[in-house]
Amino acid sequence: MSNEIQLWPFAVYTLSVFLIVAIMVILSHFLGQRHKEKETGEAYESGIMTTGTARLRISPQFYVIAMFFLIFDLEAVFIITWAIAFKEVGWVGYLGILVFIGILLVVLLYEWRIGALDYAVSGKKIVKKFKQLNKEVI
Amino acid sequence: MILIWLIAILMIGGILAWISQSWHKNAPRWIALIAAGVDFVLVAVIWLQNLSKVDLTGQSQWLFEVNYQWIPQWGISFFLAMDGLSLLMALLTTFLGLLSVVVSWTEIKERVGFFHFNLLWILAGIMGVFTALDLFLFYFFWEVMLVPMYFLIGIWGHENRIYAAYKFFIFTQASGLLMLLSILGLYVIHGQNTGNYTFNYFHLLGTDISLFTAAWLMLGFLIAFIVKLPAVPFHNWLPDAHTEAPTAGSVILAGLLLKTGAYGLLRFVIPLFPDISELFTPAAMMLGVLGILYGAKLAYAQIDLKRLVAYTSVSHMGFVILAVFSLNELALQGAVMQMICHGISTGALFILVGAMHERIHTRNIEDMGGMWETVPRMGGVGMLFAMASLGLPGLGNFVAEFLILVGAYQVSIFWTVLATVGLIAATVYSLRIVQRVFHGEKIKDWKIPDFNVREMVVMGSMIAVIVWLGLFPQSVLNTAKHTLNSLQQRKVIEQTAWQTDSQTLNQNTSENKTIIK
Amino acid sequence: MTATDFFSLMPLIIIATAAVIVMILIAVKRNHSVVAGVSLAAFALAFLSLFRITAVTPHTLPPLLIIDNYALFYMGLIFAASFAVTLLSYNYLKSYNFNLEEYYILLLLAALGASTLAISQHFVSIFLGLEILSVSLYALIAYVRTWERNLEAGLKYLILAAQSSAFLLFGMALVYASLGSMNINDMAQLLSGANLGPLALIGFALMIVGIGFKLAVVPFHLWTPDVYHGAPAPVTAFIATVSKGGVFALLLRFFVAIDIYNYESLVIAFSVIAIASMIFGNVLALLQNNVKRILAYSSIAHLGYLLVAFLSGNNLSVDAATLYLTAYAITIMGAFSIVSLLSGKEQESDKLEDYRGLFWRRPVLSAVFTAMMFSLAGIPLTAGFIGKYFILSAGVHSAKWLLVIVLVLTSVIGLFYYLRIVVAMYSAPTDDMPSQPGISRSVSFSGVLVLAGLTILLVWFGVFPQGFISLIQNMVSSLQDVYLSMIV
Repeated sequence: MSNEIQLWPFAVYTLSVFLIVAIMVILSHFLGQRHKEKETGEAYESGIMTTGTARLRISPQFYVIAMFFLIFDLEAVFIITWAIAFKEVGWVGYLGILVFIGILLVVLLYEWRIGALDYAVSGKKIVKKFKQLNKEVI
Repeated sequence: MILIWLIAILMIGGILAWISQSWHKNAPRWIALIAAGVDFVLVAVIWLQNLSKVDLTGQSQWLFEVNYQWIPQWGISFFLAMDGLSLLMALLTTFLGLLSVVVSWTEIKERVGFFHFNLLWILAGIMGVFTALDLFLFYFFWEVMLVPMYFLIGIWGHENRIYAAYKFFIFTQASGLLMLLSILGLYVIHGQNTGNYTFNYFHLLGTDISLFTAAWLMLGFLIAFIVKLPAVPFHNWLPDAHTEAPTAGSVILAGLLLKTGAYGLLRFVIPLFPDISELFTPAAMMLGVLGILYGAKLAYAQIDLKRLVAYTSVSHMGFVILAVFSLNELALQGAVMQMICHGISTGALFILVGAMHERIHTRNIEDMGGMWETVPRMGGVGMLFAMASLGLPGLGNFVAEFLILVGAYQVSIFWTVLATVGLIAATVYSLRIVQRVFHGEKIKDWKIPDFNVREMVVMGSMIAVIVWLGLFPQSVLNTAKHTLNSLQQRKVIEQTAWQTDSQTLNQNTSENKTIIK
Repeated sequence: MTATDFFSLMPLIIIATAAVIVMILIAVKRNHSVVAGVSLAAFALAFLSLFRITAVTPHTLPPLLIIDNYALFYMGLIFAASFAVTLLSYNYLKSYNFNLEEYYILLLLAALGASTLAISQHFVSIFLGLEILSVSLYALIAYVRTWERNLEAGLKYLILAAQSSAFLLFGMALVYASLGSMNINDMAQLLSGANLGPLALIGFALMIVGIGFKLAVVPFHLWTPDVYHGAPAPVTAFIATVSKGGVFALLLRFFVAIDIYNYESLVIAFSVIAIASMIFGNVLALLQNNVKRILAYSSIAHLGYLLVAFLSGNNLSVDAATLYLTAYAITIMGAFSIVSLLSGKEQESDKLEDYRGLFWRRPVLSAVFTAMMFSLAGIPLTAGFIGKYFILSAGVHSAKWLLVIVLVLTSVIGLFYYLRIVVAMYSAPTDDMPSQPGISRSVSFSGVLVLAGLTILLVWFGVFPQGFISLIQNMVSSLQDVYLSMIV
C-alpha cells in the first residue's frame, strides 16, 4: 500500500536541512568578523550619503491599478487553460468560459463606474462633492 | 379534558392579566382572582364528587386521564392523569394560589400585570407537575414552574433578591438536569429492553434494571426531589429564596414548591425504583432526621422572622422524608397529611410575617415585641399557627406528625426517637415566635392597623382548614388511600420477590388499618 | 452537464447571478433599498427553489458535488438565515453614509460559499467553498471601517483564517498523499475500517485544526470573542449561523462518510475538543461584561454541545446535531437581531450596562430577548430545550456518560451568564443611567418582521417540535443511508 512507503528518508532530509542551516548560522556567528563603526549601518560605506527614507509615498491608485493588473492577468491563465482543452470540454466548457468572461466584463463595468480606473481624481467630481457638502452645511 | 382545563385556565388567565394591565390598574388582580377561583371551585367540586368513590376497592386508582400524542417520534405524549394524591395536591395548589392572589392585593404595587402573569404560570406549572404522567412532560412542567418563580423572587423580592433568585434557579436547574439525565437513562434502558421507546409512566414502571444502574438513575431523581424538598445538605437555597421572595412567593414556595419534591418521591422514586428505595431507607431516614433537627436548630437561631419560618420548613419537611422512606401505610398517610398541613400552616405564618413587614417594614425579631395589645387579631392568628407548627393536638400537623412517628417507629426505633426530639425543638422555636413578637416587653408604642377584613378572610379560611384537618383527617386520608395502597402493594410484591418475610408485613398493615379505624 | 445538473444547482446559480446583478445595479446607480431588495429576492427564490429540487435528489455531479436532501436542508438553513441577516443589515446600515451596496455582494458570495460546503464531496470543492466564504467574511467583518474595533476584528480574522486555511490545505495534501484520492466517497472505500497510516493521521489532525478554527472550538477559539465583538451585529449573526452551519454540514458529511467512529484516535481528539469547548466556553463567558462577547463564548460552548451529539455515533447523532444547530441558529439569530436593532449609529449597544432596566422601557423586545436567553440556556417552551434534550438523548443512547455529564454540568454554569443578562434587563432602572441613543429608537418594520418570525419559530419549535423532527429526519437520514449503503 502506498502509505507504507518508508518515511525515514524524508525525516532525515528534513533534519539535515535544519542542521545545515543551523551550522551555517552558528559557524558564521563564531568565525565571522564583527565590527561596529559609525558607518556600519549605512547602505554604502562609501559614496553618496542617503537622504530621506526609502519608504516613498505612492498614490493609492498605483496599488489599485497594480492589483487589477494582477487579477486580470490571472484571469488570462483560466482562459488559456480553457483554450488548450477546447476540444475536450466542448460546449459546456464554452458556456463556462462565456459566463466567466461575462462576469469579467461586469466587473470591468463596475470598476469603471465606481471610478476605480481613474488614475487621478477628476476635478469635476471634486467640485461636485464640494458643492454638495456646501449645500449640506447650509 | 378537565385536567387540561385546570392548567389552561391558569395559563390563559396569566396572559390576560398581563395584557389587562393597560386597561385598568386593578384588572390583573381581578382576572387572577377569577382564574384561581374558578380553578379552585373546579378542583373542589371534583374532590367532593369523588370523596365517597375513591376508597372503593377494585376501582382504578386514576380518576381522570387525558392522553394525546405530543412528540410521537420520541415516544412523548401529553399524558395527564389524576388520582387521589394528585387531587389533594391540586386542591392545595388552587387553595393557596387563590390566597396568594388575595394577599398580594396591596403588597404588590408595581408591574401588577406581570406579577400576576408569573403567579398564575407558577400555579399552572405546579398543577402540571402534580398531574403529568409522562416523564418528559413532568420534566417540562417542572421547569415551567421555575422560570416564573425566578422572576417573582428576582423582581418583587426584598433587598437581596437577585442573589436569592440566582441561587434558587441554579440549585433547582442543576438538580433538574440531573433528573432529566436519569429520565433519559430510564427511557433508553426501557427502550432497549422492550423495543418500545416511551416516556409513559405506566410502561416505565416495570422496567428491568440492574441494581447498579438503578442506583445511579434513582440518584438523579432523588437529587432533584430532595433539593426541592429540601433535605439538609441541599437546603441552603431555601432560606434565601423564602426570605427574599414577596409574600405570595413565599407562600407558594413553602406551600407548593416544596411539595413537588415530596410528591416526586412518592410518585416516581418509590414506584420506579422499589428495590433501591428499600436499600436507601436507612440513609433517607438519617437525612430526614438530620433535616428535622438541623432545621429546628437553625430556626431557633434566626432573628429574621421570615428566615425563621423558612427554617421551620426544613425541619417539617424532614418528617416527610422520614415518612416516605418508612414505606408503610401509616407513615405514608402521615406524609400526605404533613404535606398539606405544612402547606397551610407555614403559608399562614408567611402571610402573617408579610403582613407584619408591610406594616412595620422590618422582619427583625428584635425590633418587635409586645404587639399583642395593638394587634390582637394578628396575635391570635400567630398564636394559633405557631401551635399548629409545634403540633398541638386538634390541629392538622399533630395528626400528620403522629402518623409519621408511629409509622417510622416500625422501621427504625432509633431514628424515630431522634425525630421526636425534633417535636420538642419545634415547641421551642414556635413559642419563641409568639414570645418575642407578641408578648414580652413593649419596645415601642405601636401604631399599626390590625388585620383588615380581607386579611381576616384569608386567615379565617386557613384556620378553618387546619382545624378541619386536625379534627376530620379521614376525609383527606380516604382520598389518598387508593394511591398509597398501590404503593404498598408494589412494595409487598417486591418483598416477596426479595424473599423477605412478607407475611409479617401484611399482618402489620392489617393491624395498622385497625388502628386507624 | 445535463439539464438535471443545472436544475439541481439552481439555488447556487440564483445566488451567484444575484451577486452579478447587484454589481451591475451598483454600476448603473447606487440605491441601497433596491440592492437590498434584490438580495432578499435572491435568497427567497433560492430557498423556494430547494422545494423543487427535492424531486431529483439525491443527484451527484461527479466528482465534486452531491445534492441530497441533507444538503438541501442545510442550504435551506443557510438561505433562511441569510435572508434574516439581509433584513437586519438593511436596517442596521441605513444610518451609515458610506458605500453600503457592496455589502450585499459580499453577503451573497458568503452564502454561496457556505452552501457550496453543504454540497461538497471533494476536497477541491470544499476548499473552494471555504475560501469563498472566508474571503467574503474578511471584508464583511471590517465593513464599518470607522470603528477601530471593527478593523481589529477584520485583521484578526484575516490573519487567523488564512493561517487555518493553510493548515487545512496541508492536511488535505497529506491525506491525498496517503490515500490517493480527494473524493470523500473514494476515501471512504479506500479506508473502510483500515488503520490510518501516519501520513493520513497527521493529515486529519491538520484538517481538524482548519475546521476547528472555522467552528471556533477550543483550542482554536481565540479569535471568536474579538471578532464577534468587533464585527457589525448582523455580520456576527451571519458568522454564528451561516458560516458555522455550512462548515458543520461539511464536517458531518465528511466524518459520517469515512465513518470516523472506527478511528479511536479521532474520536478521542474530538471528545477532548468537545469537553474543552464546553468547559472553557462556559467558564470564560462568566467573566465578560459585554453581551456580544458573552454570546461569543457561549457559541464556543454550544459548538461543544453539538460535537457531543455528533460523537454519540448512533443513528440519532446526525438528527440531533442538525436539530440542535437549527434551534441554535434560530436563537442566536434572534439574540443578535436584538443587539443590532438596539444599536445606535455611533456605537453598538453591547455592554451589559446598556441592557439594565430594558424591560421597563422596551418590554416586548426584552421579553423576546429573555426567550432567546432561555433558549440558549435550554429551558422548556423554547427550541433550545428540545435541541439540548435531543443531544442528551443521543448521548445517553450511546452511553457517552462523560460527555453527557460534562454537558449537564457546564450548562448549569452557562445559566449564570444567561441569567446575568436577564437580571440586568429586569432590574429596576436607575436615574443616573447614561442614556443610550439606540435604546429608545423605534424598531423598524423589517426588524419587527425578523424578530416576530424568529420568536414564533422559537416557541413553535419548543412546544410542537414533531413537525420539525420529522422534517429533519426525512431530510437528514439520507446522509446515513447514502453512505451506509456505499460501505456495505
